Amino acid sequence: MSQNRRDFLKTVAAIGTSAGALSALSPNKVKAKSPENLSEERMGVLVDATVCIGCRKCEWACRGAHDIENGNIQDYADEKVFETNRRPDYDNLTIVNRYESSDEKLSNVKLQCMHCDHPACVSACIVGAISKKKNGSVVWDTDMCIGCRYCMVACPFQIPAFEYHKALDPKIVKCDFCDERTMEGKLPACTAICPVEALTYGKREDLLIEAKRRFKNNPDRYYQHIFGEHEIGGTSWLYIADKDLAGTVFPKLDNRTAPGVSESIQHGLFAYFVPPVAVYALLGGIMWLTKDKKKTEGK
Amino acid sequence: MKVTIKILLLLFICSLSVSAQIQSLAKHAQMNIDCKSCHVCDTPTKADPCLILCPRYKLEVVRHSPDEGPDHIIIDKIKVEKDLYKPVQFSHRLHSEMSLMSGGCSSCHHFNPPGNIVECSECHEPNRARTDLSKPDLKGAYHRQCMDCHYSWDAKVECADCHELNSSETESVRLEAMPSKSHPKVKEPEKIVYETGSDEGDLVTFFHNEHISLFNLECTDCHSNESCAQCHSQKEKVERPILADAHENCSACHDTEDDCTSCHMEMERAPFNHFKSSGFSLKKYHSDVSCISCHTAGGGFTGLNKNCISCHNFEDEDFDHGVTGLTLDDIHIENECADCHTETVYSKVSCDTCHDEDITYPASLPGTKK
Amino acid sequence: MEHPHKPTPLTKKFFTPWVIVLAAIALNGILFLLARFVFGIGAVTNLDNQYPWGIWIGLDVAAGVALAAGGFTTAAIGHIMHNDKYESIIRPALLTALLGYTFVAVSVMVDLGRWYYIWHPIIMWNGNSALFEVGICVMIYLTVLYIEFLPIVTERFIGRVNLPGILSRFNKLVNTFLIKLDKGLDKTMFIFIIAGVVLSCLHQSSLGTLMIIAGPKMHPLWQTPILPLLFLLSAIAVGFPMVIMESLTASRSFGLKPETEVLNSLSRFIAPLLGIYLIAKIGDMVIRETFVYLSELNSTTILFGIEVVIGVIVPLRMFMSPAVRESTKGLYIASMLVIFGIVMNRFNNFITAYNPPYALDSYMPSIGEISVTLGFIAIEILLYRLFVKIFPVISIPAKKSLSKTKFAIRGAAK
Repeated sequence: MSQNRRDFLKTVAAIGTSAGALSALSPNKVKAKSPENLSEERMGVLVDATVCIGCRKCEWACRGAHDIENGNIQDYADEKVFETNRRPDYDNLTIVNRYESSDEKLSNVKLQCMHCDHPACVSACIVGAISKKKNGSVVWDTDMCIGCRYCMVACPFQIPAFEYHKALDPKIVKCDFCDERTMEGKLPACTAICPVEALTYGKREDLLIEAKRRFKNNPDRYYQHIFGEHEIGGTSWLYIADKDLAGTVFPKLDNRTAPGVSESIQHGLFAYFVPPVAVYALLGGIMWLTKDKKKTEGK
Repeated sequence: MKVTIKILLLLFICSLSVSAQIQSLAKHAQMNIDCKSCHVCDTPTKADPCLILCPRYKLEVVRHSPDEGPDHIIIDKIKVEKDLYKPVQFSHRLHSEMSLMSGGCSSCHHFNPPGNIVECSECHEPNRARTDLSKPDLKGAYHRQCMDCHYSWDAKVECADCHELNSSETESVRLEAMPSKSHPKVKEPEKIVYETGSDEGDLVTFFHNEHISLFNLECTDCHSNESCAQCHSQKEKVERPILADAHENCSACHDTEDDCTSCHMEMERAPFNHFKSSGFSLKKYHSDVSCISCHTAGGGFTGLNKNCISCHNFEDEDFDHGVTGLTLDDIHIENECADCHTETVYSKVSCDTCHDEDITYPASLPGTKK
Repeated sequence: MEHPHKPTPLTKKFFTPWVIVLAAIALNGILFLLARFVFGIGAVTNLDNQYPWGIWIGLDVAAGVALAAGGFTTAAIGHIMHNDKYESIIRPALLTALLGYTFVAVSVMVDLGRWYYIWHPIIMWNGNSALFEVGICVMIYLTVLYIEFLPIVTERFIGRVNLPGILSRFNKLVNTFLIKLDKGLDKTMFIFIIAGVVLSCLHQSSLGTLMIIAGPKMHPLWQTPILPLLFLLSAIAVGFPMVIMESLTASRSFGLKPETEVLNSLSRFIAPLLGIYLIAKIGDMVIRETFVYLSELNSTTILFGIEVVIGVIVPLRMFMSPAVRESTKGLYIASMLVIFGIVMNRFNNFITAYNPPYALDSYMPSIGEISVTLGFIAIEILLYRLFVKIFPVISIPAKKSLSKTKFAIRGAAK
């Protein structure tokens, strides 16, 4: 009987130690580690929802730039699509949704990957296929991808799409900030075509200045908040509108980086492999001690 | 010698530039504009005018009348390799007419310096890839000019409403034939009944038609600060904004300080009737006459009596009696007015000055009635 | 002290009516599995861009890993702490863990869109990813489990190698190899046993870290930074109930006498372990004040209630009672409840709690997904049955009487 109790105490001790190792990594203590140093030169897009007219030319251009069948540009004037709340998908990396409420003016908001400064998908990707580039874009290497879809689970904006309909070689797809085009010095396809320049492409820090300038000069036109300036640690795509977009167009997010908590736990668990090795040593010690004891008892 | 020439030349150039500066300074000075509206530094020179970057918010804009501007403008500044659309034909006159009801010229020609008209392309770059993000590129600027209003009025604006496809077979609409050269006649309301909630009388009945037809008011006399969306709205009905001073538009003509009850009543009022209010019917002969041609005394509409001579001066020989509907015959036309109209009330006629009792008006007429 | 029980390959016939039912379920699952590989994930599952993970991850993988925890908890108590009396349950637990983890790996592969790249994490590392950590740990642990199982294989075949036909000339050679392998393994086994426990602790907890990155997409009743701790504690708590459940099921199925004594003493640990888990879970809820969400009654809170009350509190109370612990029926029901609670917990964490921001309707597993999940469970049970017939896994009582066994255990006590 007493042996049982002693065994149990030992078990508790073992569990306690491993649990202690876990609880020691209280996430507030460990500062979120960014996957790489963010470049000051990183680019972004300022989306001014008060300007957008919902012409969906960006959708057409985006498809064209990504070798997706895009049809006739005139067909995009069809406003029936606004009846449903659409989401980016494998065949449409960006979409414009119309948000209408009884008391407010309608507004059109273009949605695509936000290209977070601290992307959850980059942190989550099991093979490290996704990366945040110096120019701000969050891109990925399809050849590495194993199709686990953890990036989709992680993304706070629910952006990455998956080609569920394919049995072979299904891909994760999302806006890549027109990486190929920008490398050639061209503008992202959507920002190039936008007739009203609701999308302004530029250095992220310049865009923040510009957004605040617009707030100052047209205080009645805007809800004075740049969505994406601080949300989940900042995004490359920044949104201004005549109303608060958080809670309607976007989820309500706080300013902590998306992968912050998870990464600090992860790094705490594996801090230089000390915790695992310590547990190993501890268990080894217990094993050796009990074995020794057994022998002496046996004699 | 050479040196003297050089010095002289230098002096000459200097004086030229100085005089030029003084000249332009004089022009600016006349306009009573704060230098800092356009210049950053204290002493701008021609070489370095240190202008504030566009847009210049404090700039004052001189208004022109719609007649001074062009009727139409062809917008063809944006050229790309493969133009999908033909140049846009913009009905400038229509827009400038309507703009008078709201922001005026500056609602489009923003930050326009006084005097001359600056083209969009002078500030807005044709290239979208650029370093100065503070203003949209030319394409964006053009579209925003149109769409900021047109889209907020009707979200179903389509590209084809302004742009004709280059590939389209149909001949381009001739500018003169454009239906929108002038704004189509506005269907104005007959009357509007305001529920004011005032103690003086809840209802104010406003006869819009009277103010136009009877009092000859221009639209812009009252509608000077309107939003276009008031009429052009995507929504069924846009509530008029409540004026800070509800009497703002009325007080120019009506005494809104002391005389409340002539507008504020407990019930809807009837349309204006000159006979009812004054006992003098305008029906026959005065229906086309504007109020102020009789009510000449500024401000007041009282003080006239029914006597014709209180307005009319019949001493003139050339009074054509025919306007009354009765053309006098050759005999009677020689008479003095007072021969028949013995009293100053001209509707009364007495024939006994010349005739026996058996001849009376209107049984016998001194001429032919129409 | 002699082992009162000796692991022996069972001789009972393989096919029973239940086995045939299971085989049918397995076949059905395999058919849907074929469809998944021929027509793609979209054709078989209800997964979409809003719900990228369904029950194949939530149940097959997450719950599968948790239920295979018996392997490392019994290894810890039996091998590391040298409680020899638990020897008889270590092998069945090991086999369950082995099969469990194998099927976890298979399930992952089925769920992977690009399954033929499943090996990528071995050479493409992302230390920030909780999933990478889980993947690598599971891969290594699976290897460790196979190594731990090797002695059972050698034990079965040493002296009994009988290769067919022309290969029979190698019989002796293979036999010698097996003996050497067995000896080598015997000397180094402790390394693997400890490694197995460490690896289990790591990935059981990292499995909890998985959903943390979903942040506000996860319902606050479950989303907490101590998720890894809760996952580890609950995995440890479910280990023994799983072993008890299996042992009782196996005894019944093979017509053996249940090892009541061993199971009874094992069950003593369960209440404290469950208690620690419950304290952590409730304590976290109190500290983060998430209990406010319980005031509203909806499917989410109901599922939370079922998970905590039926899955943790009720069995906790049951395991505290000696009467329950001493009755086979009580043990079985209580163990099943714990297992149910943990499965519910994993299901809730991965599916109920996951509320993607733009989803119009919520995820319901498709018939295909359910079929595959059930199919895997059926195959696992069938393989277990097959393995215990081939390999010496389950201990059957030696010729000595049961009372003697009792005495032996008491004798060990001080």
